[in-house]
Amino acid sequence: MHPALTVLLYATLAALASIPGGLVRWPTGGARGRWVGWAHALAAGGMLGAAYVLAAIDGVTAARAAAGGVLGVMFIVATHSLTGVARLDLSRPDGSDPSHGRRLVRVHALHACSEGVAIGAGMAVNLSLGAFLALAIAVHNIPEAATLAAASDPGHGRARSVGLGVLSNAGQPLLAVSTWLLATAAPSTLPWALGFAVGALLNLVMTELLPASYREAGATSIALVASVALGFVVLLGGLRP
Amino acid sequence: MRELTLVFVYGLVTALATGAGALPFAFVGRVSPRLVGRLNALASGLMLGASFGLLAEGTRFGGWETFVGANLGVLFILGTNRWLQGHHRHPGQPGGGASDGVRRMILVVTVMTVHSFAEGVAIGTAFGGGMTLAAFITVAIAVHNVPEGVAISAVLRSNDVGVARCAGWSIVSSLPQPVMAVPAFLFVDAFAPALPYGIGFAAGAMVFMVLLEILPEAYDKASVREIGAIASLSLIAMLLFQRLVAG
Repeated sequence: MHPALTVLLYATLAALASIPGGLVRWPTGGARGRWVGWAHALAAGGMLGAAYVLAAIDGVTAARAAAGGVLGVMFIVATHSLTGVARLDLSRPDGSDPSHGRRLVRVHALHACSEGVAIGAGMAVNLSLGAFLALAIAVHNIPEAATLAAASDPGHGRARSVGLGVLSNAGQPLLAVSTWLLATAAPSTLPWALGFAVGALLNLVMTELLPASYREAGATSIALVASVALGFVVLLGGLRP
Repeated sequence: MRELTLVFVYGLVTALATGAGALPFAFVGRVSPRLVGRLNALASGLMLGASFGLLAEGTRFGGWETFVGANLGVLFILGTNRWLQGHHRHPGQPGGGASDGVRRMILVVTVMTVHSFAEGVAIGTAFGGGMTLAAFITVAIAVHNVPEGVAISAVLRSNDVGVARCAGWSIVSSLPQPVMAVPAFLFVDAFAPALPYGIGFAAGAMVFMVLLEILPEAYDKASVREIGAIASLSLIAMLLFQRLVAG
């Protein structure tokens, strides 16, 4: 198989992992918020882990990677302002604002693009690293899609929330393949791409996932879920063949 | 004997360097709530960056050992925090338990001190390979300690602790380095297997403390976007710094 197809395949599978997330049946009542918070924390820990794995790659020019990281942070800051999602609560439907659902899908689409860059850059380093990142991001996509389903309008049923989850992840395989193509055609861009992915993932964790989790559940349980998720990604990333 | 003294002195130099991390705070004036948020975000980024470095170091010696150590570190902070909430009474605090600010300061100094034990063992075992690189490693670790002093001072200073005391506590938190470096140097073979557990413990404790106390406090005090940008950028700065120091 052509390596570009491999990248496409892995990134698509990671994007499709949102389907089981969209099918999650959330508990009702007081417990619902806590579970949504833990799902966000799980996604945050996984994303931090992916950022760690990318940042720990040896043989990359540190200054270029750091410059790429600053760009990644700036990218998220800028897209947040441009798309009007800077003050969006990821967990709750906002009754006063009919555009809430659309903005929510836009936020998730931005996540998916950053994750696509991460998979593409990882694949350009080597296949096993890229496949591992795709797996980590696939697992991360499950709770992410579940929180999207929980926050979108409850009147619309399962098919719609699954559809939204898949739709918002469409950018992931696209960005993965283009990043891989760029980084293999011009290897000097690889440190930039790796750094960009690290910066974007970190800033998504810090501005969206973690604040959304702390709003829903106590800091102790959030910190536990996120750090254990991070620990597993670090462990499995190190055991990778 | 001369070598032992050298190991200790080198370790002491690295501890003193941590105090230099308090210096930038001489230029910080009144501590407004917004500044508290920003300082906590800065500390979060630096400490998460430091734990990324520790995890990379630990997994080189053993992935499972680091993982086990990290989970023990999480439990250690969980227990310490519970204990501080329940038992450490603070005058002027009617409900019993330390005030949140005091508890946070105790946790940060505790975590950074515990992590210095692991770093001290790392220094000692590194020197165990011979003294030729000792001076170089010392300079590297001393420089590497400065941002850790910044992280400690950021949390202390945001609770209105003076700059001199910030420097003092930063140095105290690094004193285990020379103390642990000597036995680790003498008994490399005994200490080396424990190293990944210790490094994992330090990393787990640090990550968990940031997620449990420092970041929530930051989000409370300033806008989420600002906190997110400061924490991410300082984490990246710490990663770059570690790469440059390591050469």
